[in-house]
Amino acid sequence: MLNGLDIEGDSLLHRLPVRLKLALLFAAAILLFLTSDLRFLLPALSLALVLLLSTGLGPREAFRRVRFVLFTVLLVALANFLFVSAAEGAAVFCRLAALVLLAAAVTATTGISAFMDEITRLLLPFERLGLVRAADVSLAVGLVIRFVPEILARYGEIAAAHKARGLPVRPLTLLIPLIILTLKDADTIAMAIDARGFRRH
Amino acid sequence: MTTRDIVLTALFTAIMIVLGLMPPVTLGFIPVPITAQSLGVMLAGGILGARRGAAAIALLLLLVAIGLPVLSGGRGGLGVFAGPTAGYLVGWVAGAYVCGLIAERFVREGQNEIAQLAAFVGAAFIGGIVVVYLFGLAWLSYMSGNAFLPAVVASAAFLPGDLIKVAIAALAGRAVLAGYPLLPHRA
Repeated sequence: MLNGLDIEGDSLLHRLPVRLKLALLFAAAILLFLTSDLRFLLPALSLALVLLLSTGLGPREAFRRVRFVLFTVLLVALANFLFVSAAEGAAVFCRLAALVLLAAAVTATTGISAFMDEITRLLLPFERLGLVRAADVSLAVGLVIRFVPEILARYGEIAAAHKARGLPVRPLTLLIPLIILTLKDADTIAMAIDARGFRRH
Repeated sequence: MTTRDIVLTALFTAIMIVLGLMPPVTLGFIPVPITAQSLGVMLAGGILGARRGAAAIALLLLLVAIGLPVLSGGRGGLGVFAGPTAGYLVGWVAGAYVCGLIAERFVREGQNEIAQLAAFVGAAFIGGIVVVYLFGLAWLSYMSGNAFLPAVVASAAFLPGDLIKVAIAALAGRAVLAGYPLLPHRA
């Protein structure tokens, strides 16, 4: 049901540790915003494209993943092209597109569980401050992945009930029973979690 | 947060994901299709309250970041946070929190119908539109450099759809409060 966007492979990006990939992505984001020089931005965009394709993602699948964000990038670049200058428009496009492609490359080469482990480690300082418990975040992520198929099935049932009674399927008449029925399960689920002692204090 | 709060938060995030799977609705008089997922931002605050509502949205964004395609249209991964519209996503968390704060303060269970509905509309409008646009436009203006004004004008295309969502969120918030009140027992 819920499959990650990572793909199997053994490319350079696959072998780098998650934390290093995130740090590099962050550094790239800062560097790209420091300059508007196309002599730097154009090679950066080409490099990002090469990196994304080196992950083993086919060109078609790669495009399918980034097309929506690239479309918004294109709109912003077009606005700069029309209202500021052609050079600025090109710079904005190269800078943002490069960043989007790099981010997509990190996503394609990082598995859900490896990423989640890294998140848990990054949350530890916040846990020491008493802001959030890393184990609770992992528990919540697990719960979401477990319950999405169930809620989707319930959504189908409510829509079918509407049709059986000859009612049009409207957002409002569908949402309310979906939310109430789903949230009512919270007590039972919470009791089951506590009964198993998952959250020891 | 108690275990029940965590479960409520996670279940709401799962509802948001299911809302993202619903096909967008196209209305003749509105230029852009309406997606149900951003409706969830107003619902999260209005139904779960500020803390749990904001946590539900933050959890959704965490799932996006670690590479699950859970945003409407099957979008996901770090790429969406690199684009010019990422500010709206971050604004969702703050929007749900503000929406929850207003709902917690002004919605009472024994209130008359009109006052309750007005409180929900106010919460959904300020949290779900004003706060979300504030974050979204601030980031957009940073990303779009000198072409800020055209970008603002373009985002006005989403306003009519968002106003319809405010109405739906207010009606749904009231109905859920009647059927399964969570707002008064907030985290």
